[in-house]
Amino acid sequence: MGQSFYHFFGIGWQGFFDIALNSYILFRLYVLFRGTNVLRVLFAMGVLWVLRQVAVSMGLVVTSWAMQGVIAGAALVIIIVFRNEISSVLQTRDLKSFFWGIPRYQRKTPVGIIVESVYELARKKIGALIVLPLNRELESVVQKGIVWQGKLSKEMLVSIFWEDNPVHDGAAVIQGDRITDVGVILPLSKRTDLPSYFGTRHRAAIGLTEQTDALVIVVSEERGKITLVKDNRVYDINDSTVLEKLLFKHAGDDTSAKGVKKHTRELAAAAAICLICVTGLWLSFSRGMETLATHDIPVEFIKSDQNMEIFSSTASNVKLLLSGSRPLIRSLQPDRITVKLNLTNTVPGINKLAVSRNDVALPPGIVVKDIEPSLIEVLVDVPVKRELSVQPSWTGRLSPDLIMTRAITSPAKISVIGPHQVLKNMETLFTEPLFLDGITASGSMTAQIALHPTTIRLEDQKKGRVQVEYTIQKRETMSP
Amino acid sequence: MLLFLSAALFSTPPPARAQNPLSENPLSKEQTVLLQPVLVQAVMCEAIERFKPVNQAVVFSISLGRVFCFTAFDPVPRETIVYHRWYRQDRLISNAKLVLNPPKWSSFSSMQLRDADKGPWRVEVVDGQENLMKTLRFSIVD
Repeated sequence: MGQSFYHFFGIGWQGFFDIALNSYILFRLYVLFRGTNVLRVLFAMGVLWVLRQVAVSMGLVVTSWAMQGVIAGAALVIIIVFRNEISSVLQTRDLKSFFWGIPRYQRKTPVGIIVESVYELARKKIGALIVLPLNRELESVVQKGIVWQGKLSKEMLVSIFWEDNPVHDGAAVIQGDRITDVGVILPLSKRTDLPSYFGTRHRAAIGLTEQTDALVIVVSEERGKITLVKDNRVYDINDSTVLEKLLFKHAGDDTSAKGVKKHTRELAAAAAICLICVTGLWLSFSRGMETLATHDIPVEFIKSDQNMEIFSSTASNVKLLLSGSRPLIRSLQPDRITVKLNLTNTVPGINKLAVSRNDVALPPGIVVKDIEPSLIEVLVDVPVKRELSVQPSWTGRLSPDLIMTRAITSPAKISVIGPHQVLKNMETLFTEPLFLDGITASGSMTAQIALHPTTIRLEDQKKGRVQVEYTIQKRETMSP
Repeated sequence: MLLFLSAALFSTPPPARAQNPLSENPLSKEQTVLLQPVLVQAVMCEAIERFKPVNQAVVFSISLGRVFCFTAFDPVPRETIVYHRWYRQDRLISNAKLVLNPPKWSSFSSMQLRDADKGPWRVEVVDGQENLMKTLRFSIVD
């Protein structure tokens, strides 16, 4: 599976690591910022980026330039406008939850106690404002009241909103199983479409949810009605089970099989989208950063006729000019490139073989731009054995008063192996040059056989030297 | 290469049978049976004087300007031809056709030398039926 994926997309291990790392980072950003407006703006920026890419590909110069400006501006705006969300994510979480954990909201929130307390308050027509924050910190939005840090209980909650209690006018903030703050002043909503029977408590609840992801429960003092506000939406609560359900949903404590499944599906879908986006981005970048490289690769000759032998070729290596994405080219090892020339259609003798792109095997994603040399001459033939006479190859100058009358090599003949086409025209093996200078009398010397052409070789490599015996005489004076 | 080839035909008493040190092809008995001329002497030499080879050698200086291949046949049963084939490093340079006349005959061919001719040479003496009678090997040096 991995191999086929690799072959399809041309991604090396670095590519896999790159994609996996960035997909995880993107997924973590989603997990940390989900439910906040930051994620929505990031998504909008992503859409803008895609539009810019489309504009660039279509050659819309001004549009792409404008898109680029908007994206750059939006990045700045995100940092400024959502600084509180960003800082709350970066400051309030421990390393484990930051890098690994999946926030489960307020798992330990005793929803039952809250529901009972709220209904008790409603029955007694005691006005109440209860805030259950989620991810976003409230500090920048609300006016801090009195730190309470009391264990949540029905009696305590009812007593906080008792009309003789000095802090009963503000909101009580519940985090987990504790009432953390009381007498908290919430921002009021400026909406004009609210029902006339909504009092200050309702406006405060809506005002907070307009700016945060908190859930607020309002108990009306006059009507004894319960209202729940979440994400700027108002729910009139007439049934305790509905309230309980909404609280469980907010607290992330929807432990039913359906709820767990839904939560898992949501995370899996987010992870898949992150993976797809990063993969697409990686492919887009890697395709966009084409680069060139030159590799010197040895040529492999593939014989079909085992009787034939390759005796020589004008080139044993070819220089390949390769093109591909920078990461692929950088990670390319020469041993992953092969150049194979098929000798099926060759005939005995010299064959001119064209080296084409089809003869080059490359990892996916890399293409051949140029091959040098593009033509290789290969001498293929049936190897034959032949016995050739050995002749000394004299050079230099013999003293003018001397004559060499005789020169015998031992052995007189030597067996060589070579291409039939070459050996059929050969009669003699010559020695390396033997120097005459200094020879004044008969004698002998050892000589090395010179193998020309290089396509021939000695049958017995140990018999590459011969003994040359020569006879020197005084020159006869020729008659005038 | 500028090549000058000369051949001389003359009837002389054949010299004593020469034992050329470079001889590789002993004279075939079958050749005499087939009324072919019998090669009795084949040598490379610096000159021909009075129908005889002078300064037989296997190494010749380019300064000599010319080198000779002398062959003598006895008997020559009938008029026939032989060839002196000159090779430089296995490459045929010249093919001298010589006519032999009964009862015995000597002949020679020669090669004028140029500077580019330095290196190993051989002359093959071949009869009219393309039988190799003798190979003479020599070198042209400075």
